[in-house]
Amino acid sequence: MDFKLTKEQELIQKMAREFSETRLEPLGDQMEAEHFIPKEVLLEMGELGLMALPISEEYGGGGIGYDGYVLVMEQIARVNSSVHMMMSAHILGMSIIDTFGTPEQKAEFLPGGVSGEDIFSFAFTEPGTGSDPAQITATAVKDGGDYILNGTKRFITNGNYPGVIGAVFKETESGKLTTFVMRKDIPGYSWSEPWNKMANNGGSLLDIYFKDVRVPASAMLGNIGDAFFHLTAGIGYGKMGIASGALGMMQKALELSVEYANGKTHRGEPILKKFQGVQMLISQMATKTEASRWLLYKIASDANTTSKCDFERFAKDAAMAKMFCGESVVEVCRMAMDIHGSYGLMVEYKIEKLWRECIFSPQVEGVPHMQDIIIANAIRHGN
Amino acid sequence: MQFGTVIKSARQGLTRERGELDLKYVVAMKQVPDLQQLRMRDRRPILADVPVEFGKIDRNALEAAVQLKEANGGEVVVVSIGNDELTDTIKEAMAAGADSASLIVDEDADALKSADNAKLLAQLIKDIDDVGLIFFAEGSADNYSGQVGSHVAQILDYPQVGYVTDVQIQGDKALVTKALEKSFEEIEVTLPAVLIVAADLNTPRLPSVTQVLQAGKKPKKIQDLSDVDYEQLVVIKTLDALAPDVSRKMQKLKDVDEIVTILSDDGFIGR
Repeated sequence: MDFKLTKEQELIQKMAREFSETRLEPLGDQMEAEHFIPKEVLLEMGELGLMALPISEEYGGGGIGYDGYVLVMEQIARVNSSVHMMMSAHILGMSIIDTFGTPEQKAEFLPGGVSGEDIFSFAFTEPGTGSDPAQITATAVKDGGDYILNGTKRFITNGNYPGVIGAVFKETESGKLTTFVMRKDIPGYSWSEPWNKMANNGGSLLDIYFKDVRVPASAMLGNIGDAFFHLTAGIGYGKMGIASGALGMMQKALELSVEYANGKTHRGEPILKKFQGVQMLISQMATKTEASRWLLYKIASDANTTSKCDFERFAKDAAMAKMFCGESVVEVCRMAMDIHGSYGLMVEYKIEKLWRECIFSPQVEGVPHMQDIIIANAIRHGN
Repeated sequence: MQFGTVIKSARQGLTRERGELDLKYVVAMKQVPDLQQLRMRDRRPILADVPVEFGKIDRNALEAAVQLKEANGGEVVVVSIGNDELTDTIKEAMAAGADSASLIVDEDADALKSADNAKLLAQLIKDIDDVGLIFFAEGSADNYSGQVGSHVAQILDYPQVGYVTDVQIQGDKALVTKALEKSFEEIEVTLPAVLIVAADLNTPRLPSVTQVLQAGKKPKKIQDLSDVDYEQLVVIKTLDALAPDVSRKMQKLKDVDEIVTILSDDGFIGR
């Protein structure tokens, strides 16, 4: 058992931390107000190799695996959750093509995502559908050698950025769920205004519309009926993304709280030194953060193999990481608010923004009880 | 910050033509504990398990060399002396643009003093062909003795410029800008020369993921102390290294006037 990072992992982690602090931190308010991440930032991230960390090197990706990916994502979310949210959906969209696409599809789509020129999305949820794929109503109708796509998808991250999207439809001849991959400038594709969220508005979330979108049969990912595997793996990738974001926010909440409790004094002594109540909170926060970190690192390291072949095991692991980190970040931020007292409510204090952002972690990609069902069923099947 | 006279000449046409003799830009770097992770106990640093890295000004020196290579061609070679961790630490420099490295890796390296390091670095540099410039940081992040660059210049009998904030290559000379307290001095220096750079003369680039992954594959020459012709100069012995003992005056003050009086008496304001 060796819990040490390699030198390369350390250096990549350090690069991501420095990039976040020097480039993303100053732009945070602008992104929040404009609901958009500036193009030059995306391209800069592409130059640094941040846009395709786990993607195969053959197509320009970093090839550093999902363990390398979560190390970087933790550092990004520690500073800017919106950019983290964009990256999480982007890597999810790319990973599905990298795992299931044909060599032609990979060569056509992946390089644009590596450079940051193209931003990826993956669309599954619909207005009437949550986590139950059987209720999907968007359709793919065969028309000669093409398919005609129609339907509405809800809460799609990056849906308005130029780039590539993978989306799940019911193939009408077979009635089976099938994934198609296309560029977002295809005729018939459009999107709503971004949803106004309680935080993370730099990361855009929209409804998207397919109206008589015509794609060739070669746009199909895998075969008719394969979407279940894409969903299992893809949402697993997304859940590791969410878990890494939760970890980054926990780390930040802990740092802010230690700084505050060391600086705030009561009758001349720092409250961290004087009050056991504060010490207990810091202790709980640090322990939950550390437990989350190593659960996620372990699962992400395993995902380098399980996500390619053992889908139920991967789905269970990713659900565990997402559930544990997602619940922990809310608990940790709640304790951070306790330590900050009334100051925690003030926008001048960074914990105020973190408190609004942290709740995203348990809410998106399936609430904790949804994860319980996935985990328990996988255990029931012997995984 | 206000500068008085700023002496700068036009820069046009000063860069070397590519294809001329490719110079080597040598950068001397030192691995030091990551100061952000250093904790103190009884005024002494706890070094166990603290990761090592290259110092911040060393990164500035490397960046200056890499920028010159990009403008003029040539190669960047890092020279460094350190304990076993250096074989891993050197990847940081390789990822940030160095082409190769010549290292002395030895478990006794941490005990070496500035004069020893200077003699050893000079030996490493002598073995490198076509040296144009040798860069040093103005001080290392741990001891900050600020002696090694000057010492190496003396051993090699090369000219030396300190407080360097800008460098341009012009044929077989370098045009170097040196920061003085309220002005800049521009100096023409014949190559090869030793340049000692000031902090913040540039912003070191962040390495990309690919550069990090390729860093370990770049060529390195690794020797230990028994491989080099060297005799330790045991002339300085460090008895102890203590952090400053900070005490607070805890004075109660009546009004702002009294604060102003105390601060100006202590020389903090009104100088």
